[in-house]
Amino acid sequence: MPKKEKHKVKEYGTQTCPWCVRVKEFFDENNVEYEYVDVGKDRGAAMEMIEKTGQRGVPVIEIDGEIIVGFDEPRIREKLGLKSS
Amino acid sequence: MFDVIIIGGGPAGLTAGIFATRRTLKTLIISKEFGGVVSTVPHIENYSGFKAVNGMELMKRMEEQAKASGVEIVYSQEVNEIIEEKDGFTVKTNQKKYKSKAVILAFGKSPRHLDVPGDKEFDNKGVSYCVNCDGPLFKGEDVCVVGGGNSALDAALVMSEIAKKVYIIHRRDEFRGFESMIEKIKSKKNVEFILDSVVKEFKGDKMLRSVIIENIKTKAIKELKVAGAFIEIGSEVKTDFVKKLVKTDENNHIVVNDKCQAFYPNKDKVRPGIFAAGDVTNNAFKQIVVATGQGAIAALQAYNYVKGSDEDISADWGHNKGG
Repeated sequence: MPKKEKHKVKEYGTQTCPWCVRVKEFFDENNVEYEYVDVGKDRGAAMEMIEKTGQRGVPVIEIDGEIIVGFDEPRIREKLGLKSS
Repeated sequence: MFDVIIIGGGPAGLTAGIFATRRTLKTLIISKEFGGVVSTVPHIENYSGFKAVNGMELMKRMEEQAKASGVEIVYSQEVNEIIEEKDGFTVKTNQKKYKSKAVILAFGKSPRHLDVPGDKEFDNKGVSYCVNCDGPLFKGEDVCVVGGGNSALDAALVMSEIAKKVYIIHRRDEFRGFESMIEKIKSKKNVEFILDSVVKEFKGDKMLRSVIIENIKTKAIKELKVAGAFIEIGSEVKTDFVKKLVKTDENNHIVVNDKCQAFYPNKDKVRPGIFAAGDVTNNAFKQIVVATGQGAIAALQAYNYVKGSDEDISADWGHNKGG
């Protein structure tokens, strides 16, 4: 499957968060290129996430500037133009 | 038209799906989210076949097996109503309607929410129901944990390593958790107990800034400055939407017999076509292994119902599907 590069995808997560892992796996399974930010390790990034997204819970996903809170698979699929499973 | 619709994608629902499809029933699982509460448990040491397994990993395996068996799964839909029709049931979700001949209720328990002003407003903005997920975001800050059971004590222990200060707010003057855990927490210098107290309100601006607590004995009100509040006050079954259809007990659990058949409300008569399994039922032990066992029973009984027979079903662990 070709890499999908047209979307700017970012995930904010923590190492101990099972849902964050699930989101990462979802991106990997669907060949989605994304940037992963561990907000548990990087205090600056945590503050950036809180400031930018208004959220203090993870996972937070940013797709082309739109914020999705939690592993909302249908919405993520819709934003990325992926077919439903 | 499905043969069976299973509501809930936790251990009971996924196992029911596996057994139903092995009997060639056209099966749909509707689940609000992946894996149910088990998926957030970091360590499981009492599920046969695994010395220790991560909850998310276990649920992924169950989901994979269910999908490989041919189960169709839809997530992020919440069932609002089940309507009995002449030829089966219509299951209405917040998005769609589905039809089936039989229904298995396996939607488990949900974390109990603190129903006070600010709870919803500051959800994910300081108020959290998942310490493993959000805990690391509160490094060096003051937080509180609300609750007095093992999960609350566990959350406090986790946060004592991350936060500057941890308050444990508990409505009683003693804890229900393990003694060893309580001792461990008492030895932590940055943990403070606030007993006989309840949260009255969450306050803040864009983010949570403080909690208002009341001492239930003295009625004294106090404001605690915290950036995070982790709620660990147990779980509840939300069976209101099926109460017109099936019998529930005083704890809202769905009453089932040993074949996981549900009953008519306020009667001892079996309700044909509706089955229940797992934590949502009145089973005596809320364990994963019990839930999976009930899931299998419910699916095999649903098969009997759909096929119009009530025979004992022999073992089916091989490659060949029954039916």
